[in-house]
Amino acid sequence: MSTGERRQHIVAALLLLAALAAWRFSGYAGEDRLGEIAVWAIFAMSLDLLVGYAGLVSLGHALFFGLGAYAMASLALFLKGSPSLALLAGVATAGLSALAIGAIVVRLAGVFFIMITLAFGQMGWAYFLRARAFGGIGGMSGVRQIDLGRLGLDLANPADFALIAIIAAALVYLLLALITASPFGRMLVALHQNEHRARALGLPVQRYKLAAFALAGALAGFAGGLQAQRTGFVSPELLVWTTSGEVLIMVILGGLGTLVGPVAGAAIWVVLRHILSDMTAYWMMAMGLFFIAVVLFAGGGLMGLARPRAAADDA
Amino acid sequence: MLEARGLGKAFGALEVTRNVSLSLPAGARHAVVGPNGSGKTTLFNLLAGELRPDYGSVLLAGRDVTRLPPDMRARLGLARSFQRNNLFPDLSVRENLALALAIAQRRGAVFWRRFARLPGLAGDVEALARRLRLEDALGRRARSLAYGTQRQLELALALAGAPKVLLLDEPTAGMSAEETAAMTALIADLPRDIALLIVEHDMEVVFEIAQRVTVLDYGRVLIEGTPAEVRGSEAVRRRYLGERVP
Repeated sequence: MSTGERRQHIVAALLLLAALAAWRFSGYAGEDRLGEIAVWAIFAMSLDLLVGYAGLVSLGHALFFGLGAYAMASLALFLKGSPSLALLAGVATAGLSALAIGAIVVRLAGVFFIMITLAFGQMGWAYFLRARAFGGIGGMSGVRQIDLGRLGLDLANPADFALIAIIAAALVYLLLALITASPFGRMLVALHQNEHRARALGLPVQRYKLAAFALAGALAGFAGGLQAQRTGFVSPELLVWTTSGEVLIMVILGGLGTLVGPVAGAAIWVVLRHILSDMTAYWMMAMGLFFIAVVLFAGGGLMGLARPRAAADDA
Repeated sequence: MLEARGLGKAFGALEVTRNVSLSLPAGARHAVVGPNGSGKTTLFNLLAGELRPDYGSVLLAGRDVTRLPPDMRARLGLARSFQRNNLFPDLSVRENLALALAIAQRRGAVFWRRFARLPGLAGDVEALARRLRLEDALGRRARSLAYGTQRQLELALALAGAPKVLLLDEPTAGMSAEETAAMTALIADLPRDIALLIVEHDMEVVFEIAQRVTVLDYGRVLIEGTPAEVRGSEAVRRRYLGERVP
């Protein structure tokens, strides 16, 4: 295990401990905040696989977040199916959509990739804004919750939801840590570092990009399904491009290609948003200033600050 | 092993490659020379699959690969180095070699095992490093290496796949005399069964390595022959070796 990976796991363990401590000692509002952070953390980690590891900057990742949420909500509402199966179906819907859309978008690179992912995301948003079957602009409420009565848990209770979401985030972290350290994950790093050379060596670059895109889409769909569980509500806002922008900010804020960085980015962004929006109507400006400061003074995001200089110069 | 049949390529009105044919049997040592702009790199890109020819075809081990992309040609046994170093710059030499080997051995599609623990990979990395005299640089980042060492790594990446055909694009470009001699020795030591095609400006290197030489002139083949024949050719002397023929 490299020193970078070890540092990453240590920070992840500390964050998990902090989250559990906060869960144990915070009140109702804090518990709700923790659940929100955990959902965004999963969403941000899924985007980090694309942006930080494979070098694919997507500005349409909220599409899969929204698809997971809508699929989960509508299957549970319309088909009266089991909400836990609906959550899995949401993951599958998002993953398969990402596979289909990915087959088109991975042919493009750079700014064209950014623009086409943005376009697909906005198409999804425009659809759900109008689609009467899914409640149009008002979305759908009353999403049935997964019954965890057997475990003595009730997801309608923010404390119970936060605990489940924190565990889910930890599992997603472990899964992605395994994948990014695997041969597949290293191939993504190789094509990110030098796509031209990777192809000349015989790597079927587009197939690897597509696999990463589909996997990231499926995990974003999982985060979306959890979001629908948390709020009991889905709306087109989930898919709008600023949602994609916000999760990208979390990833950059925390540190690209570090997995745990985006988790910290999600936590800071969510907390800051609540604090600042209570304080001033200009809270978005304050958030912007904070983001600019981090990007200017910590190139590698918050995780970049945690890295000693020597290690950054020669690994 | 590698054959080009009447290749042609134009960029707009500019014909960069005109009806070029080449044939490399197994174990060939073949050089392509010509001044800047004579179409050497374009020919390389046509052979490697970075460009599609307007006409003509490319055969690799008897199979028509004219329409195949570079990664598929690489999987069929064709490897290349680049004129400008084309490495994984932020990764260590060890990681560069390990990635190249894993790609060449097609072991990338594994999710559940740690990359560093792929069986046999560490040993292959050590062996490749020893072969290219990179043992002392394994822990260094590619971008922090001296230029000559980067050229060695460039060659190492090309050799990772144990290719049948190797295309070397100016392997000694920008090197000192000492580095050039070391690189020439490395190339001369390549396995005898590799078919080697080399583009090179340094005529000493060409005459030391090549058994056959193709001279390109404005995209077409001026002459092809043994080094002695090429050296003896009046046309070549006039055009390229800068000699006045009395």
